[in-house]
Amino acid sequence: MSNESNFASDKSGARFYHKKDLYLAIILVAFGAFVYYEADKFPPAPLVLGDTINADVFPKILVVVLLFLTAIIPFEFKITPEKVAKIDKERNERTISITWITIVMLLTIVSLANFLGAVLTMFTTCLIFPLVWGEKNYVAVAIYAIVFPACVYLLFNQLLGLYFEPGLLEIFKK
Amino acid sequence: MEDVIKGFGLILEFKNILLIFGGVLVGVLVGALPGLSSPMAIALLMPFTISLDPVASISMMAALYCAGTFGGSITAILINAPGAPPAVATALDGYQMAKKGEPGRALGLAAISSVLGGIFAIFVFLLATPLLAEIALKFGPVEYFGLTLFALSMLAAMSGKSSIRNLIAGTLGVLISTIGVHLATGVERFDFGVQELTEGIKFVPVLIGLFAMSELLNQSKTLNDAVERMSARALKLPTFSELKALKGTILRSSGLGTFIGILPAEGSTVAAMMGYNEAKRWSKEPEKFGTGSPEGIAGPEAANNAAAGGAMVPTLALGIPGSGTTALILAALVMHGFRPGPYLITETPHLVYAIFGAMLFANFGFLGIGLVGAKFFSYVTFIPKRFLWPSVFVFSLIGSYAYSSAIFDVWVMLLSGIIGYFALRNGFSPAPFVMGLILGKMVEETFTQSMVIYENNFLNFFESGVFIFFFILTFVSLSTPFWGKIRNKFFPAKPQS
Repeated sequence: MSNESNFASDKSGARFYHKKDLYLAIILVAFGAFVYYEADKFPPAPLVLGDTINADVFPKILVVVLLFLTAIIPFEFKITPEKVAKIDKERNERTISITWITIVMLLTIVSLANFLGAVLTMFTTCLIFPLVWGEKNYVAVAIYAIVFPACVYLLFNQLLGLYFEPGLLEIFKK
Repeated sequence: MEDVIKGFGLILEFKNILLIFGGVLVGVLVGALPGLSSPMAIALLMPFTISLDPVASISMMAALYCAGTFGGSITAILINAPGAPPAVATALDGYQMAKKGEPGRALGLAAISSVLGGIFAIFVFLLATPLLAEIALKFGPVEYFGLTLFALSMLAAMSGKSSIRNLIAGTLGVLISTIGVHLATGVERFDFGVQELTEGIKFVPVLIGLFAMSELLNQSKTLNDAVERMSARALKLPTFSELKALKGTILRSSGLGTFIGILPAEGSTVAAMMGYNEAKRWSKEPEKFGTGSPEGIAGPEAANNAAAGGAMVPTLALGIPGSGTTALILAALVMHGFRPGPYLITETPHLVYAIFGAMLFANFGFLGIGLVGAKFFSYVTFIPKRFLWPSVFVFSLIGSYAYSSAIFDVWVMLLSGIIGYFALRNGFSPAPFVMGLILGKMVEETFTQSMVIYENNFLNFFESGVFIFFFILTFVSLSTPFWGKIRNKFFPAKPQS
């Protein structure tokens, strides 16, 4: 994607605002508006506490600061063009499929962590990750998937006394 | 003196020496591995230190911090891949010297300069911390509010991709710190009925997510990247005459680095770059910079390690982190039940001196490790990413779960990591967010107390001279990134004829 496509231009062709940063600003404004709305619902301090600051004051001040700073973001390229160009270079690279797959893997593993238990979660992680990431040395993967979780288990559970949820392995205990 | 002896006595216990040595080893290791960093290692270690002696665990983290700064230069010199951002400047001349067939000399210069810079800063730390704490003890809430405001404003000048984004990240960090029960009124804020949120967002899972998980996702893009290997790897210490020729550079960079480290939010990366620039400016042979100049290695190395020691001064004396990594050490202090700020040295002076001792030990430790293990540490970069990063994920899982045995914290860790990854892509660094998160409670507490004292009128804060001083500093630091722009607009540089 060319860097030019990141900008919206006015009639004269001069760059007016940065499109991606505008979207970013919209997300931040929406977040700020939500926080402000939620803070507005906080009950006032009881009279018995006397002269004190209500719970909503500080978050609301922060939202105002956030909105002020956010307003600059779409036009930041006019203040520090070289810094924004550097950021553009990085974000113009598409998030490649392996990163999305990794995110899905991480979410799946954490979702299953309670069910699997600590040891099986570690084993699954050490087995699945290298394979999905393209490791072809299957023997090394198998050794790693067994030895690494075993070492972690010995160190943290047996030596440091950290409790590991048994999860699925509880069946074998019974 | 009694406290100094007690502090030193604590770290001289065999178990503690072992832990500190472990910290040095891990520090050099993560420093040497591109992608892994000292803040990440400290975030991962933090939950496992709960059951350890607090003094030993904080000392271990301080040692790791010192050693991590040096570790980065090993790979910067040998494979032109700085293991940590502060080593970027070292790579400029270090790698060139290595390419000329003198990798051992480059490593030796880096090690000695780092040690000297580090020791210089530690002595400043020893002298400045009690003095600064004594001044800070006279501060009331409004003065403290001014100080924290100044510390947060320094995020604008912090090294990163954008000053505005640093400030936004810092503000978001403070905002997230407001989750949970409001101490002054007892109102539950932003908990959305989730019981775990009433206590607020815990530091540890967020830190692990931001530093480890977001980097894991970042690294998933570069799984097939190969690194070029250098041949000879024996560390060679500089001769006395060589050191004598470099003494000016080392001393200047040590002073500069310590000063930059003491400034809130500034860290080793800025110090290293400035150390390099100053070394070049003062050099009799500036044209040799970039071709393997010894001054080009000594300057940034002395500065970045001195900055690590300097950053501990505001962290321990004021409770204001001097850098991203010291923000984590501050979080660890809170986790272990210490009260960061001026009371730390009055209530637990032995802890401060134990940290001092640990950092001193770390400086000699990484010199020793560098002497015998430089070769090994250059090899660790060849650990395949396909095995390294799943291991980091396993430690992240266990670390975030171990903190309070709650799967909720694991989710917090993971979501922080995913959000952190996309934030990173858009120019937001994790360090300003962490600073905001850690300072958030203090900012709100001092603001609330000040408002009550000054009859709910912010303008009355200006009755305090100290507050005015910090307010001016805040203004200056917020406008610093724009100074160059303003100067160019009104006083454009004359074209050279």
